Amino acid sequence: MRWIWLASYPKSGNTWLRLLIANLGREEPADINAIPESAGIASSREWFDSSMLFASGLLTYDECDRLRPMVYEAKREEFEDCVDLDEDNEEGGDDVASRVGQVHFVKSHDAWTVNPDGRPLLGGSRVADAAILIVRDPRDVAPSLANHNGSTIDGAVDLMGQQDGAFCGQPRRQAIQLRQQLLSWSAFNASWLDQRDVPVQCVRYEDLYTDTAATLGKVLAFAGVEVSEEDVARAVRFAAFSELTAQEQAKGFREAPPSRGKRSFFRRGIAGGWADELTAEQVERIEQDHAPMMERLGYALSAAGATEERRAE
Amino acid sequence: MASYRISGLSVRSEIALHGLMACDGPENAAPDVTIVRGEVPDAFDDAQVLGPNWALAQDRFRIGIPGVVSMLLTGGRELRFCPAPGVSDEEAAIFVASTGFGILLHQRGHPLLHASAARVGDAAVLFCGPSGAGKSTLAAALGERGHALVADDFCAISLREGRPWIAPDARKHKLWRQAIDAMALGGRSGAPVRNRIEKYFVDPREIVETPLPVAAIYALREQRPPHSPGITAPNIVDAALIVRTNAYRPRLVRAFGQQPLYFKAAAALAQRAGVYYLTRPLSFADMDKTADRLADHWASLGLLDRAA
Repeated sequence: MRWIWLASYPKSGNTWLRLLIANLGREEPADINAIPESAGIASSREWFDSSMLFASGLLTYDECDRLRPMVYEAKREEFEDCVDLDEDNEEGGDDVASRVGQVHFVKSHDAWTVNPDGRPLLGGSRVADAAILIVRDPRDVAPSLANHNGSTIDGAVDLMGQQDGAFCGQPRRQAIQLRQQLLSWSAFNASWLDQRDVPVQCVRYEDLYTDTAATLGKVLAFAGVEVSEEDVARAVRFAAFSELTAQEQAKGFREAPPSRGKRSFFRRGIAGGWADELTAEQVERIEQDHAPMMERLGYALSAAGATEERRAE
Repeated sequence: MASYRISGLSVRSEIALHGLMACDGPENAAPDVTIVRGEVPDAFDDAQVLGPNWALAQDRFRIGIPGVVSMLLTGGRELRFCPAPGVSDEEAAIFVASTGFGILLHQRGHPLLHASAARVGDAAVLFCGPSGAGKSTLAAALGERGHALVADDFCAISLREGRPWIAPDARKHKLWRQAIDAMALGGRSGAPVRNRIEKYFVDPREIVETPLPVAAIYALREQRPPHSPGITAPNIVDAALIVRTNAYRPRLVRAFGQQPLYFKAAAALAQRAGVYYLTRPLSFADMDKTADRLADHWASLGLLDRAA
């Protein structure tokens, strides 16, 4: 088998890519509520508790991090045995696999970090064969993250700039998932791009948006999945933004933000929407915080002059 | 030596198990289970099933909570523990009383569910789900409404003439700070379950100490698409799956080869009690609505008529 991390900073297109993969080889569009959720992510509390046989909730987040590499090693063995794969799936009804043949895709919003014992948190090359890093223009991430978290855009920009940014790190209650150290948007992407434990392929949301089929084809080739062009074309059709939005409108999407207000998961699904969503100050803050990584990933900074002009207006 | 009753078993322990209800031990009779301090092997030469931090060999099972405590469980009768260097008994006790004892119950061959339970009329209703599903919080909220606590974390099921019964496992609630504050239970909250964790023991209002027949089992689900709030009955296949996947530690059902045991328990629970999904928002603000919904359901099942 092959284990491929699907890593991304939140709101960068991870779910879209997983839905594209889930639609491979299908006769009709996959149910958006049938893609593995809590069972298919690195921060799954269920994976931890069911492998280690004790409640992760009794440990501090740092203690959990010391043990997490063991959890992924055990999970890999389980995948390799391929026996009773779904038996312990506490969610029951998941009927769309996160694997294509022998290639398992596992989502991660954890940055590539080493734990307090100096081991890669995600188990390094003992666990994964490769990683796909999905990146998106941080100026588009910010409004989407604000919608998801129910925060202001400024709050989202703050989180993206925070060196110790995290999901599910609250100490006063037990979050559904284990704590995920996101770091800042720049540091998250650098952590995956610069690690030398597993080969990594970077995919830009914008490229997936512009030419979905070609970009998906490249991703699958890198992951070692053999599919026909027709298969890819059909998956692209089944996971088209209009299809996903229609499904969410009809039945809702379980990964949508919890029901404070009527915020949907699939929002605009466009690239470059930031131009009409961010203030000049917000654009400037994001660019100041993340200029080197933006340039590295090919996101052009708005001309300093243009920013100055807009501020003057 | 302290004496306790855990899941209907008499237990004598060399360490104090915080959160459990102490009782007068049977002075002469041998207890069902003894908890002793002692050496725990790092590995078994004859291991049959291996996990990352645990191993099974014949009637022995070892599990380590790295950096805290390791335990050796033998024949479902003895739980031997060895705290890691520098770790206090108090620190180790929570893992002995929950993890260790739960696995020992699996070892004894009881169908064991990861569930809390409350008394309704003269029966018990169970709430199952993975860690974080809201089992303890719901049991505590129902306690405030006069439903005595039957179990907080695991439920040992036995069949008497085909009818499922639960052995009471009343102990202190273990609640996160946020739940304690939201439900205004601060007055009865005590020590943290473990240092550095914001989860605390809370005294239950009332506990049940005798076995009760099981009237219903609810699988807790968060209200999120595509599931609407309410109580629904799954089909028989899903009902069996709910029981199996909500074993205290599903992995152990396979390791101990106990699938038939759970199949039988599932059949009994589906036929002689009732298996349901309880879908509700996770927010504390909706807790009353959930409790009302349950009360209506119990009335429709006739459970409240039988109240003693």
